[in-house]
Formats: sequence, structure tokens, C-alpha cells
Amino acid sequence: MTAEKLFAYSSASVGYGATTIVSDASLAVHAGEVVGLVGPNGAGKSTLLRAVTGDADLLGGTLSLAGVDSGALSALQRARLVGVVPQQVTAAFSVEAREFVTMGRHPHLARFAVPGERDREVVERAMRLTDTLHLAEKPTDELSGGDLQRLALAQALAQEPRLLLLDEPTSHLDLNHRLQVLDLVRELARDEGIGVLAVFHDLDLAARYSDRIAVVASGTVTPAEVPARAITTATVREVFGVRAVVGVDPVTGTVSVTPVLRDGAVAPVARGRVLVIGGSGCGSQLMRRLVLAGWDVTAGALNAGDADQVLAEALGVDYAHIPPFAPMDPESVRRVAALAVSADAIVVSDVPFGHGNVENLRIAVEHAESGTPVVLLGEIEGRDYTEGAAADLWARARAAGAEGAADVDAAQLLLEAANSR
Amino acid sequence: MSRTRRHGSSVVAFTALSLGLVGAMVAGVALGAVSVAPGEVLGALLRAVTGTAGGLSDTLVVGVRLPRVVMAALVGAALAGAGALYQALFRNPLADPYILGVSSGAGLGAMIAFVATAGATVLRFGAVPLAAFAGAMLTMLLVVRLASTRGRLDPTSLLLAGVALSYTLAAVTSFLMVVSREQMSAIVYWMMGGFSQASWPYIGMIAPMFVLGAILPLLSTRELNLMLLGDERAGHLGLSVERFKLLMLASASLMTAAAVAVAGLIGFVGLMVPHMARIVLGPDHRRLLPASLIAGAIVLVLADLVARTIIAPIEIPVGIVTAVLGGPFFIWLLVRGERR
Repeated sequence: MTAEKLFAYSSASVGYGATTIVSDASLAVHAGEVVGLVGPNGAGKSTLLRAVTGDADLLGGTLSLAGVDSGALSALQRARLVGVVPQQVTAAFSVEAREFVTMGRHPHLARFAVPGERDREVVERAMRLTDTLHLAEKPTDELSGGDLQRLALAQALAQEPRLLLLDEPTSHLDLNHRLQVLDLVRELARDEGIGVLAVFHDLDLAARYSDRIAVVASGTVTPAEVPARAITTATVREVFGVRAVVGVDPVTGTVSVTPVLRDGAVAPVARGRVLVIGGSGCGSQLMRRLVLAGWDVTAGALNAGDADQVLAEALGVDYAHIPPFAPMDPESVRRVAALAVSADAIVVSDVPFGHGNVENLRIAVEHAESGTPVVLLGEIEGRDYTEGAAADLWARARAAGAEGAADVDAAQLLLEAANSR
Repeated sequence: MSRTRRHGSSVVAFTALSLGLVGAMVAGVALGAVSVAPGEVLGALLRAVTGTAGGLSDTLVVGVRLPRVVMAALVGAALAGAGALYQALFRNPLADPYILGVSSGAGLGAMIAFVATAGATVLRFGAVPLAAFAGAMLTMLLVVRLASTRGRLDPTSLLLAGVALSYTLAAVTSFLMVVSREQMSAIVYWMMGGFSQASWPYIGMIAPMFVLGAILPLLSTRELNLMLLGDERAGHLGLSVERFKLLMLASASLMTAAAVAVAGLIGFVGLMVPHMARIVLGPDHRRLLPASLIAGAIVLVLADLVARTIIAPIEIPVGIVTAVLGGPFFIWLLVRGERR
């Protein structure tokens, strides 16, 4: 990247007094770039921002702002360079909103000067951009948290900063204003070359609006990477303890995170191993429920991109992988057979069977016949696309003692009953 | 200059304040045990300026009443200005020189100088006001120190530390008073607060302190407004908060010391006047601070007038008047503010 480096932590430690919160942090923000900080509560995201303005302490390493060591900048020089939008904006006093925003001109005003024509223009523009012009005459102590948050952004923009530090800039905003403010931040970065360092709690928003994302966790910061590399199933599970489907939102084209379950919510009991025969999303509920109940879940052959395959990845479930829309090949059949051998029970979801996946069912039936507990979800009628082969297998399974379950709850109960025998 | 609609117009307010100050001062000079007609007051002033003063009423006006009124105005402005500053710096509506213990600190400082130099005549050499300033500043720093944990100032602790220290200092002051018997009555009268000792030399002594204390805050009203946002935000917007606070605390302590050195302990003005100004004009220090200074002057000039006329020829301490009038008025303002 050739753009100017506006912000750079180099092997920095930050904290308060003797307490280090984040150590060995190296992080840069270039002109025109939005860098997102994500991570669990208390990991030190805000501390990293607060140390820039001296509200937290830089305990080691260096911080440079536009190439200058931060310690060499006076508060006034820093305020001409860096605008901050804090997490909590309070105004327990009554000045007009326009006056509030005009306070952002302070670093540019000579000692005893009053705001001039240009200052008024900058304030006007900042308020127009943040959609707060209609509030200009309102006293600040009568405004909502969301209005104040946008006014704080306007105030920061009135500083004409080259670097914006945003600490959860949209926490008090409704959906529309949230997107509006973040769109604005993106535009400012793109059109005016402002560098932005923003703390996000919402991973989807972080991915959607950041060029690069750094993860703050376990007392340090990962190198900032493009969202698709920074936010993965593995990082979400490691950092937040949440198993999530991390995919690309088909509409926005950006990384999207759907939480599936918290690791902490998994029942602390060992229930044995269960093989779920799924596909087309029919096994998703089963897999999630059984993982939560403490089962060691595996899955039959799943096509890449299939909803069940995506969930299996998110849950960390072992399964036989086959290419998109491809039928099961001998390799995947061997793999499912092996998973079936190691399973204490098998559950067949209400997935439709065709020639491509009926081998999954055949393996389940063979194991039913050799005594493995098998639960069959729903009926085969209406989802046999194999000219009767699947229905025959279904009948064989029932004959071998496989039990039928009307729904996922019943299936779970039957599995637990079989497991306790 | 824009302003919220709820608050009054600057022009009207400052015209009223200026007229009020002139009116209060003229009344203060004219009224008393012997009344002087307002026209005669102006005549006496004119003759004093042109050096042709002579008559008894001229002596009364220029030598006795005027210094008293001017001193009351200076002390009122100083206390109200200090109160406005403390309230801004600590963002605490209850902060004033009295509650923070600064007045008591200044009082003890003044008292030590008073006793050590054996008498009021030393006032002219400045030992008392300097000691008052030292006492005020030391108390202020101690209170801030006591109320801070890891660089953060807790508003409740600030008031508690101020009140606690105030009592301690008052006890020491009382002790000093008891052990210096021969000056006891002079000290008692000084401590109760009042302007009966007013004279031009005293004014010459505290006027520079007042000006020195007021000038920096008056030139820093934009920075004082930033402090409304809180220390952190003020810092984000380019204010060197710690340095600024120290400068403003020194200014406020200087004004407090100036007031206490010559007029003893007068309560309520520092707390009440800035609030009155804020309710009328809003929190913008570009208007609030000058308005507090002028209003403080008016309030004390009028309070002193009441103190020396209400049961004349007996003079009651002016602190009693400010408390008796200030308390109910303040409560009325609070109730009115809540009803709106």
C-alpha cells in the first residue's frame, strides 16, 4: 500500500497505570482506509483507541500519528490530526446542537478568535453529512442518544481530522442511521483520504465496512487482514467461543456471520457418537440439537455449499465431503461407512433421496441390520427419487428394528434412550 | 452568536446587569445612616475627580461609602467568579469556594498572617492576602488530591473532602482565635464577614489580585465551554486539560483569597450567583462568566446595603444577609426549574 501511514502502533503495550491490557500490538491505518477492530468485551479494543488520546496509557512500544511520535504532539496538534467519536456521548448541559458541533473547531481557532465564515461552513457541512442539520437549534440536553452520537461524529468532523477513531460509533443508532453513518465513514475514507480506525461489536458490520480487520483477544492484536481472512469460523470460535456459520452474504457480497451455538451452552455430558444422515439443510436442526445435547456428532456425505455442509463446518462436525451437486463417489462411500462403524447410533433425517445420496441410506440400513440403533425421521413417502430403491431400504431398516420419529424432539429422545441402554 | 431559545437574550441581560450594577452602587453610596441624594453623590464624585472636594458629605461619599461599595462589588464579583469556575472545572453544581474548603483555607492563611504579624495594619503590606492565597491554593490542591483515585476525580468525594477539610481548617482557625485573645474581637468580626473596614488601601491591595484572577478565565471562556463536555472530550478537542485546570484553579483561588482577605467568610454568593446566571443565560461561559462577575457584585453591594441599614445603627454581618436572602431565593429557583 502506497498511501500515507496515518496511524501506527509498533510493538505497543497499552493499559492503565501498572495494568497492561493489550501488549505487543502492531497495527497501522493508511490514508483512505477503514480498519476495524473486533474482539470480545474487555479485550482492550477501546483501550487501544483511548491510548491514542492519552485517556489510556501507552506502556511500551511506539505510537506514531502521521509519521510523528504521539508523545511529541501537543493536545492541540493532535486534535488537528485525530477526531474521536466516543462510545458514550453525554451532554448534561444545554447548548444548541450547532454550538456543540462548533466546539470541534477549537483546535483550528487562534487563541482568542471567534469562529469565522470558514468555520461556519465546516460546521454546516459536518452537520449536513451526519444528517443533524435539522437539530441545529435544539438544546443538547433534549436530544436522544442516537442524535448525540451523530452530533459527536459531526463534532469530530468539524475538527477536519486526517484520522478518525470510532469507538462503537453506531451503538445507539437505529438501523437506518447505523448504515447511513457507516456509509458516510466509508465515503470520507474513499473520497477524502481519511484514515479510520473503528471498534465494532457487530461482526457483519465490521466485515461490511472495513477494508481490513484486526482481532483483539487474549491480550494482543492479530495482524489486520481483509475481512474474509480475519473473520472465519475458526477465529469466531476461538475468540468468541461461538460456533458460527461464516459465509458470504449473497446480497451485500460481504462476510456474514450467523451464530449457531455457544461453546458454553453445550451440555457437559458425554453421550457417545452419532452419525447424522442429512443434506439440503434437512440435517441442520438435528446436528445443532445433538451437539448442544453433548453428542459427538458426525455426518454422512454432504455436497460443498449445501446448507448442512456449511453448518457441519461451523459446528466442527466430521463428515464426508463431496463436490457441489456431485453424486457420492466410492471414496465418500468408504468415508461414510467408516463414520458409521465408529458411531454409537445413526439418525436419518427427512432428506429427499436420489441416486446421488442414496448410498448414505444404504450404509445406515446395513448398520441397522447389524444391530446399531438407528432412528428414522418422518416417512419416506414423497421424498424417494430413486424409483423405489430408497423406499425398499427404508422398509428394510424398519424391519431391522430402526425406530421412527415424527420430529426432531422425538428423534433426540429415542437416541438418548438407545444411548442409555 | 446563537443561543438556545430557552435562554434570555445577551444584549438585554448585559444591559440589565450593567444598569443594575450602577444602580446598586449609587444606592449603596446614597443610602445609610445619613442619606445623600443621588445627585449629590454624583456631585461629590465629580468634585473628587477634579480635586475640589471639601464638604462633610463629600468625605462621607468618597472616603467612607464609596470604598465600601467598591469593595463589596469586588468581593462579590470575585466570589461569584470563583464559584462559576469551580462549577465548570468540576462539572459539579454544588462546587463553590465555601463547600470546597477554599474559603476556609484562605481564611486560615489570612488568620495565620494576621496573628503572626500582630494586627490589621499589616494588611497594607500584603502578608494577609498572600497568605490567604497560599491557604486557598494549598487547600484546593489537597481537596483535589483527596478526591482523586488514579487520576479520576469523584464528584461526591470532592464535596466530602471539601466539607471535611473545611471543618478541620475552621477548627484550627477557631483555636488560633482563642489563643490570640487580644485580637479576638477584631478577628471575630472579620471572620463573620463584612465591609466595615473598607478603605481605599484595602481596595488597592485586592484589586490587582481580583484582576489577575479574573483575566485569564475571561480570556478562556471557549476552553471553559469545552470542559462542559468532560475532561476526556475536552482533551480530544485539543485542550491540555490538566494544565488548564491548574491555571483555572489558581485563578479561582486567587479571587477567593482576595475576597476572604478583606471581607472574611461570606457564604452563598459563590454558589448562588453562577446558578442564577446559568438559569437565565445558559451554560455558555462566554456569557455566564462575565454575567456571574457582574451579578456577584450587584448581590453583595445590595446585601451590604441591607446589612448596614436594616437595623441601623447596628450593622449585621453581610454573610447573614446573603444566607437569609440567598437560601430561599435559591430554593425558589430550584423549584421553578423543576416545574418547567
